[in-house]
Amino acid sequence: MTSSRTWRYAAPFVIAVIVAILPLVVTDRFLLKVFTFAGVNALVVVGLSLLFGYAGQVSLGHAAFVGIGAYAAAYCTVQLHWPWILGFVAAGAVSALGGLVLAVPSLRLKGYYLAVATLGFGELMALSFKEAEPVTGGVDGFTGIPYPALGPFELRTASSLYWLVWGIVGVALLIAWNTSSLRPGRAMRALHGSELGAQASGVDVVGVKVRTFVMSAVIAGLAGALYAGVVGFVSPSVFTLSASVTFMAMAVIGGTGSLAGPLLAAVLLTLLQYFDALIPGIPRSTSQALQEYREDIYALAIILVVIFAPRGLGGLWRRRDRGGGEEVRQ
Amino acid sequence: MSLLQVRHVTKRFGGLTAVDDVSFDVFPGTIKALIGPNGAGKSTLFNTLTGFEKPDGGSVLFEGRELVGRRARDVVRAGLARTFQNTQLFDELSAGENVMVGRQAHQGKGFTAAMLRLPGATAEDREAREEAGRLLRLIGIEEWVDVPAADLPAGIRRLVEIARALATGPRLLLLDEPAAGLNATEGRELVHTLYRVRDAGVTVVIVEHDMGLVMDVSDEIVVLDRGRKIAEGPPRMIQLDPVVIAAYLGGGEDEDDGPAGRPGRCVSTAPADAPGDA
Repeated sequence: MTSSRTWRYAAPFVIAVIVAILPLVVTDRFLLKVFTFAGVNALVVVGLSLLFGYAGQVSLGHAAFVGIGAYAAAYCTVQLHWPWILGFVAAGAVSALGGLVLAVPSLRLKGYYLAVATLGFGELMALSFKEAEPVTGGVDGFTGIPYPALGPFELRTASSLYWLVWGIVGVALLIAWNTSSLRPGRAMRALHGSELGAQASGVDVVGVKVRTFVMSAVIAGLAGALYAGVVGFVSPSVFTLSASVTFMAMAVIGGTGSLAGPLLAAVLLTLLQYFDALIPGIPRSTSQALQEYREDIYALAIILVVIFAPRGLGGLWRRRDRGGGEEVRQ
Repeated sequence: MSLLQVRHVTKRFGGLTAVDDVSFDVFPGTIKALIGPNGAGKSTLFNTLTGFEKPDGGSVLFEGRELVGRRARDVVRAGLARTFQNTQLFDELSAGENVMVGRQAHQGKGFTAAMLRLPGATAEDREAREEAGRLLRLIGIEEWVDVPAADLPAGIRRLVEIARALATGPRLLLLDEPAAGLNATEGRELVHTLYRVRDAGVTVVIVEHDMGLVMDVSDEIVVLDRGRKIAEGPPRMIQLDPVVIAAYLGGGEDEDDGPAGRPGRCVSTAPADAPGDA
C-alpha cells in the first residue's frame, strides 16, 4: 500500500524526467519529430479531456480549433511578420473566440445533438480553411512558416522543438491538473454526473460550460500554433473530421475523469502511425498494413475500451487503487 | 413573519393546469408537508418554487424577496435548496465531493485562481472539505465520505443529497419524496435527520407519500388535489378532514393505526408520479 502510494506521487516526476531526457538518448531526428507530434496531439487531448472526460461535453470539431490556431500563428508570422511568441498568443486568442462560439450551442444541446453541432462546426471551419483564400492560402495553405523563436533564439533543431512542445504540454498538464482537482473540476464532473443536480447545488452551469469550452479550445489552438511551427507549413487537409475523431478516440481510450490516461492514449495512438520508425526491423508490408488500417485499429480500440474498460486507461489505473482502499476498510 | 409566502401560483402545461392558484405560508423553524395523490402537482409546485419551472402566474416571496423569474442557481444562492425525487447525485464523485459541490453556491474564486492553484482557490477547497465533513457528521453518514456516489445504497444516496443541499447554506430546504425507496429503519432514521436539520435552524418542506412519516414529522400539512389546494392545517386536522379523506385517503378506515405502527401506509405503495421531476 505504502509503496504504491509512493509510486503514485513519484510517477509524474519519473515520467517527466524520462520525457525530458529523451532527446539526449534518441538521436534519430525523424524519431524525435514523431515524439514531438505525439506531444502536439497530447496537448490537444489534455484540453479535450477537460471538456469530455471531466465536463462530459462531446466535441467532434476539435481539429477545427487546432486549425484555427495553426492558421492564426501562420498568418501572424508569415503575413504580418510578427515574432513567433506573438503569433502563438494570437493563436490562443483566436481559438478562444472559436471556443466561445461553440460553447453557445452546448448550453442548449446535449449528447448526440451536441456531437452533431460540434461536427458541423468542424466541417464549417474545414471548409473555411479551404475557401478563405486571402487569409488561409486556400488549398495550398501556408508555406515557409518560421521556426518557433523565443526572443533571439530560434528553435530549429529537432530536440529543441521537442523540448518546446513537451515543455508546453507540461505547463498545460499542470494547469489542467490544478483546474480539475479544485472547485472548477468538481463543477465539471458534477455537470457530467447530473445537470439538474448541479443546478440545484448552485453550480454556475453556464459559466462552467463556457469556460471549459474556451479553455479546451485555447489549448487546442496553441497546439495548432506549435504544429505550424514544427512542420513549417499548414494545409487544410490536416484539420478534418478524421483528425477530430482521432482526438476524440484518444480521449475516450484514455478515459473520463483522468488526465494521465488520455495523455498516454494520445502518445500511444500517435506512435502507432509511425510504427516503422519505432521498430526498425519491421517488415514493410506490416507497417503499411498498420498505416492503412489505422482508423480501424482506433475503432477497434474504442470498442474494446467501451466494453472492457468503460473508464478507459485512466480508469484501469484508478480501479487498482480503489481496490486497495477497500481491502484496508475491511 | 413567514419565511416563504406562496401566493396564487399557477402552472399550466398546454391544456393541463398542473398547479392551480396555490397559496400557503411556511413559517421559520417548522416542518411543512405537501401531500396529495399522484399527479396532484406537488413536484411541479416544487419546481416552480426552486426556479426549475417558471410559473404562469403568482408570486413566491422568500424572506420578502421575489423568487419567480430567478434561475435555479440564484434561488439556491438566495437560501432555498432542494433535493429530487430521483436523487441527482454526481456518480463519479465521492459522497464527500458531492457535498463539497454544494458549497459552490457561494464560492467563486474563479477558474484562473484554480488554474494557478492560488492560495485563495486552495483555501476555498479546504473550507468546502471541512464543511462537507461537518455536514456528513450532522446527517450521520461520515463513514461514507470517500465512497463513490455510484456505489452508495439508496438510503445513503438520499441522505448525501440532503447533505449536499445543506452545504449551500439554506434557510429553507425542500425535500421531494425523501423516504421513497427507503426501508422502515432508514425511514425512521430519516425522521431523526429531519429533526436534526430543523434544530440546526433550517426550515423544511417535504413532499412525501409515506403518510406515517408525514403525520410524524410535520407541523403543518398542505393537501393538493389536481393542482388545487384542498386543505391546510396540522396533521390531526388533516387526518379528520372529510374533504381530504374523500379526495385522497379514500375512506375512514385508513386512519387507524395498523399493527406495523404506520398509519395509512397504503398510499405509499402507489407508483411514483412521473411528471414534473425532469
